[in-house]
Amino acid sequence: AAAFGLYFPRKEYSENVYIDQPAGTPLLRIHALRDSHGEVAHFHLCQNLIISRARSHENHWFQIREKTGLLYLSKSLNREDFNMLSVGNWMPLSKVMLYVFLSSHPFQEKECDSATRTTVFLSLMNATAPACSSLTARQLCFTEMDLSFHIKENKPPGTFHQLQLPSVHHLCQNLSISYKLLAAEGMPFRYNENTTGVSVTQRLDREERERYELIAKCTVREGFREMQVEVPFLVNVLDEDDSPPFLPNGTDTADAVVEFNRKEGTVLATLTVYDADTTPIYPLESSRKKYTGTIITDDPWISETFRVEHIFDEIHFSPNGSQVRGTQHEYKLVLNKSISVTEHRSFQLDVLVNDTEFHGPERSVMLHFNVSILPVSIQFPNMTYQFTVNRNAERFAQIGKICIENCMKFRGVNISYKLLSPNVSCYPVSILQGREGKWGSLYVNDSSVLHRPECKEIQYTIQATDKQSRKHTKTLLTVVLEGTLLKKEEDCPDSCAVSKHRAECEECGGLGVLTGRCQWRQGSGKGITTNYSTCTPSIKTCPDGTCDVIESKDPAVCPQDCTSGNIIGGHGKGTGNLGIKSGHGICYCFPRQNCYCEKDDIKEQLCDEMCKTVI
Amino acid sequence: LAGPPSPPGQDPHGWRVPVDCVRANELCAAEPSCSSRYRTLRQCLAGRDRNTMLANKECQAALEVLQESPLYDCRCKRGMKKELQCLQIYWSIHLGLTEGEEFYEASPYEPVTSRLSDIFRLASIFSGMDPATNSKSNHCLDAAKACNLNDNCKRLRSGYISTCSREISATEPCSRRKCHKALRQFFDRVPSEYTYRLLFCSCKDQACAERRRQTIVPSCSYEDKEKPNCLDLRNTCRTDHLCRSRLADFHTNCQASFQSLTSCPGDNYQACLGSYAGLIGFDMTPNYVDASPTSITISPWCSCKGSGNMEEECEKFLRDFTENPCLRNAIQAFGNGTDVNLAP
Repeated sequence: AAAFGLYFPRKEYSENVYIDQPAGTPLLRIHALRDSHGEVAHFHLCQNLIISRARSHENHWFQIREKTGLLYLSKSLNREDFNMLSVGNWMPLSKVMLYVFLSSHPFQEKECDSATRTTVFLSLMNATAPACSSLTARQLCFTEMDLSFHIKENKPPGTFHQLQLPSVHHLCQNLSISYKLLAAEGMPFRYNENTTGVSVTQRLDREERERYELIAKCTVREGFREMQVEVPFLVNVLDEDDSPPFLPNGTDTADAVVEFNRKEGTVLATLTVYDADTTPIYPLESSRKKYTGTIITDDPWISETFRVEHIFDEIHFSPNGSQVRGTQHEYKLVLNKSISVTEHRSFQLDVLVNDTEFHGPERSVMLHFNVSILPVSIQFPNMTYQFTVNRNAERFAQIGKICIENCMKFRGVNISYKLLSPNVSCYPVSILQGREGKWGSLYVNDSSVLHRPECKEIQYTIQATDKQSRKHTKTLLTVVLEGTLLKKEEDCPDSCAVSKHRAECEECGGLGVLTGRCQWRQGSGKGITTNYSTCTPSIKTCPDGTCDVIESKDPAVCPQDCTSGNIIGGHGKGTGNLGIKSGHGICYCFPRQNCYCEKDDIKEQLCDEMCKTVI
Repeated sequence: LAGPPSPPGQDPHGWRVPVDCVRANELCAAEPSCSSRYRTLRQCLAGRDRNTMLANKECQAALEVLQESPLYDCRCKRGMKKELQCLQIYWSIHLGLTEGEEFYEASPYEPVTSRLSDIFRLASIFSGMDPATNSKSNHCLDAAKACNLNDNCKRLRSGYISTCSREISATEPCSRRKCHKALRQFFDRVPSEYTYRLLFCSCKDQACAERRRQTIVPSCSYEDKEKPNCLDLRNTCRTDHLCRSRLADFHTNCQASFQSLTSCPGDNYQACLGSYAGLIGFDMTPNYVDASPTSITISPWCSCKGSGNMEEECEKFLRDFTENPCLRNAIQAFGNGTDVNLAP
């Protein structure tokens, strides 16, 4: 790390300034802590007063003692000055801000661009200094700002605060104000009663303890009256990179197997590295650069095919009862591109993790991944496929799925399925590619063929091809036609989804039906539910919440899964605004038009036994 | 909701009322010396910090001239025409001058002079009842009813609700960008007597508090897969002029102060609630963290995990939402129908 040099233990200081306070009035005391022994602090003010909303003024009133850090009024602030400084401040309270800079050598030029600075907020009070008797004990003892400090670990001890307020001490000399630091036993801090200074007595270690909570107690005596105030006094220890990376349980090796999942972006294995130091996730990129993970290899194929992803997270260690923050770094071995199904090799891949800001010999650890890339075979299971199809099935009826071995486990492998046309005229079915190139869906493409008596048993050859390697495999498919042709009902719509009642649903057919008749799904009937009542070509595939490749061929097949039109009545839409995910009562659709979900109040049993006999 | 009209050129505190930045820009453009200095200053500020800029003679001169021009004190109004343009002009001057790394930034918006009592008066006119009636009623439900009875409120509310609950795909539950835009429209265009009632209704049971938490459709507009670090989120917000301005406005109006009775700057609850609502629909969108009816905890979607040495600063930033007495008092005062009575 770069040498920190001197630094301020507080980011901000505050004090009130009153009209007509005399020149020479001390305002507040600023401290600096050292990076190394022998450094001497020099304080310097930037000669600009910054007022809220960016107006700035030259500073004529405030000065700081270069050696002691005492900020004082060098010129009385009269009402005219006050009015001038208040313009532009539209909040009721006027504040001016000034920067105090710090250097280890006397300031040559009065520049104000040093990185080490602290901010002083001076509240301009529209009144003359108050009488001491009108001030509360809280106001006499402490400023409004929290007593909160930060001290860097591994730095020499020193004084970092003065409890006594110089302005109050100057103003109220007849009051006795004394301080104490409570809960300081056993802590590395000391209070000096003579100077009211608080110092840190030894080098701190953040990995031991990162927060100290003390109490500052103030006693004000005026004659026989005594008042006491207590406020929290907090010290945070700032971290530097002084711990090397280490392996939890000594684990530096992990297996990484590539088999069915060969897709770019797949995480193959993860190894963890701990560090007792904190790592800010903000800004993220710079922290990533400080803790690198590099694949060590000469093989261009390995460096093209794999990458290492680094994520880190805050964890807690408890070195001696108190919790301190640390970091868990995870290095993930990731596929940088999809791997061909024919690839077959094994090797060890080494990743060098480097804590670049740690200055010590153990700044890096080596991680090992045992990588095995197994080939996968493109083949059908031993059996041949046989499907039976009812002669009354309609176009887009789903017959079944075709899948090579382990096809559902594949990722990053794209298989295409195709029917090699048989040498006969009976050709009722086709195949469509399922999602992600895993399986093929077999469906009726030409229902008129099903009606022809000469077509009974049809033999096909199916070919599955891996798109990347062009490897392919074949199997036989037999389609057996069965059942007798039913007479078609007159006046039936071509979509099952149009039917609103069970009776009309079950006596009609429609696109996509398997046996010539639509199927009725009876819902639970409670409110808006995914289990709504509806008429569908096949309960197995529609509605199932996904608009599959066959359903999407024609909007009349399953509008319940595929509609993008209006849905009237209580409903919830499906993924991507497609289909009816949930509905109220019965949902029915007119393809290419609206869908309706409504509670059906008309009882289906309009005509009971009595009525039938009368007719 | 406009406050009582103030005499031209003066606000109630006696300060000069600033002209809006779009107008100030026009005034400056009409004057050759101003417009050339403005151009110079913008070039000075581009990519340089305040101190380097002040070291340059030409930049210094430009700044001195501009300090006297209306551009220097210009402000913007919430929901004004060309709000974004106004804020761009504002930050083009102020960004370089306020260092861009300050913890609190001054608000580019005009101070809010109206009071909660103005809203209560209006609210009781249209609802026909006292806001603090019936202890059994669900105020959040009443607020929703009141909104549904107003065409504008109903239209914009159902607009954001349907946008925010529309599922895009299995991995993307909604379009956060569109949801935020719809929420901003709702809070910008619907009068606060409707929007505040929905956001800040008081609750006695969990069902009511859950309804209050759900007001902004948090599953889309608020929650995310991961919680970023709050300082990182603040950084993201500050890269956007609108978000930066709304955050600065929140800090200006809701920053807890020891010097007032209510802990709010100027004891102005209305201003704090307004700038809270102004954050909804941006990266820094705040919300109720749970459905607790009585103990109100507000937070943006972030945590201080992974802050490193900035943990103190991060927690300070987060506390302005989670443990802010001004914000809490303002929300409770609205729910109870009480405002501070200030002597004029």
